[in-house]
Amino acid sequence: MEEAERTRIFMERINAGEKIEANDWMPDEYRNLLIKQIHMHGISEIMGAYPEKEWVPKAPSIRRKLALNAKVQDEIGHGQMLLRLAEDLSRPYGRGREELMDDVLDGRVKFHNVFHMEAPTWADAGVIGFLVDGGAIITQAMLLDSSYAPYARMLKRIVAEESFHMQHGEAVVLALAEGSQAQRDMLQGAINRWWEPMMFFFGPVQMGKGAQRMMEYKIRTKSNEELRQKFINRYVPRITSLGMTIPDPELRQDPETKEWHYSQPDWERYNEMVRLNSGPMSQARIAMRRYAHEGQRWVREAMIKASERQVSEHQPAI
Amino acid sequence: MQDMVGSEYPVFEVFVQKEPLGFHTNVGSLRAANPELALQMARETFFRRENAYDIWVVPQDCIFGTAHDEAHLPVSGFDKRYRLPGGYDNASHWKKFRAKAMTIEEVAEDIRS
Repeated sequence: MEEAERTRIFMERINAGEKIEANDWMPDEYRNLLIKQIHMHGISEIMGAYPEKEWVPKAPSIRRKLALNAKVQDEIGHGQMLLRLAEDLSRPYGRGREELMDDVLDGRVKFHNVFHMEAPTWADAGVIGFLVDGGAIITQAMLLDSSYAPYARMLKRIVAEESFHMQHGEAVVLALAEGSQAQRDMLQGAINRWWEPMMFFFGPVQMGKGAQRMMEYKIRTKSNEELRQKFINRYVPRITSLGMTIPDPELRQDPETKEWHYSQPDWERYNEMVRLNSGPMSQARIAMRRYAHEGQRWVREAMIKASERQVSEHQPAI
Repeated sequence: MQDMVGSEYPVFEVFVQKEPLGFHTNVGSLRAANPELALQMARETFFRRENAYDIWVVPQDCIFGTAHDEAHLPVSGFDKRYRLPGGYDNASHWKKFRAKAMTIEEVAEDIRS
């Protein structure tokens, strides 16, 4: 069959709301967009564990320590599940886990701007759960309807676990909001740090060509601006109800259209940070990733060698 | 294959996915001479009435399992409520600030509508 004819049939399936499986025929463009999206998503989950991991030893109680540690485990687990999907899609290109991981060390895959930032106080650990996970949940809820079935299925599991992240983040934020003036000031400081990065998080109003093509392929179903509006609409009342302020003098809702007006984040600064890994914590976190990936390579190789012997001695379980 | 004794067919475990966004679930096993025939047998044996979106057959000796005791299974030996959304009573605190608690189901509903 001609490529054009195959693509036409594929688009008919997409437009009829059918789901695409890993082994189905797909246009190269669809595959490449999926790889880019899922690879970035998976790496962001893993890099997102680093700012939170910093707070595990310093969390204020054993319960908070357990919860934060559980959240770090979840993020790494999500990264593993997503990288498996990216690996399956990358098979025709002969690229596996090693290469997908090397990409982050060599700056060939981006991760979310928020994970390039510092988390200097305990309130930052809470606000990351509150606002960053809150924003990620909004994006991931949209992806539950993705045309690529393995991604949508995996997102079901991920979103179910994010539910705990959301409640955990809120619990930390609420405890600080109910606390002393110093705690409330700490919370306000963290909100001031994270609001602008969150406005950037959803991407530009005028979406790039790739993002637009992802909408056409129904890999994603909502525009950047739709998602940002949902986020603002949900979180502005919550933040202000706590007696906190939002660091944006331009922020206001049009009483008729209900559309929120907001200050543009510093697009150039954050774009550069993501592109060049030049944020305040980018290089330190990539260095930890390098230690885990390259420093431990000999362990993985030794495990493979040892397992070659074991498999032949294995008794089946059933 | 390990199970092959004389002229006996090997055993395949059968997994079914009911709908595109569902997960494959084990429904039982059968004997067949090869994977192609196992798939055919699976249709005959398990799906005479039910629909299936996808069927997997896996040679049984390719399945590795855990031992069924506490040392090997992830059981809740101690309180893990801190890992669950229900482990947090945020609603009463939000009420103090005159705001409503929020659930992920509600967010997902809003985004997908």
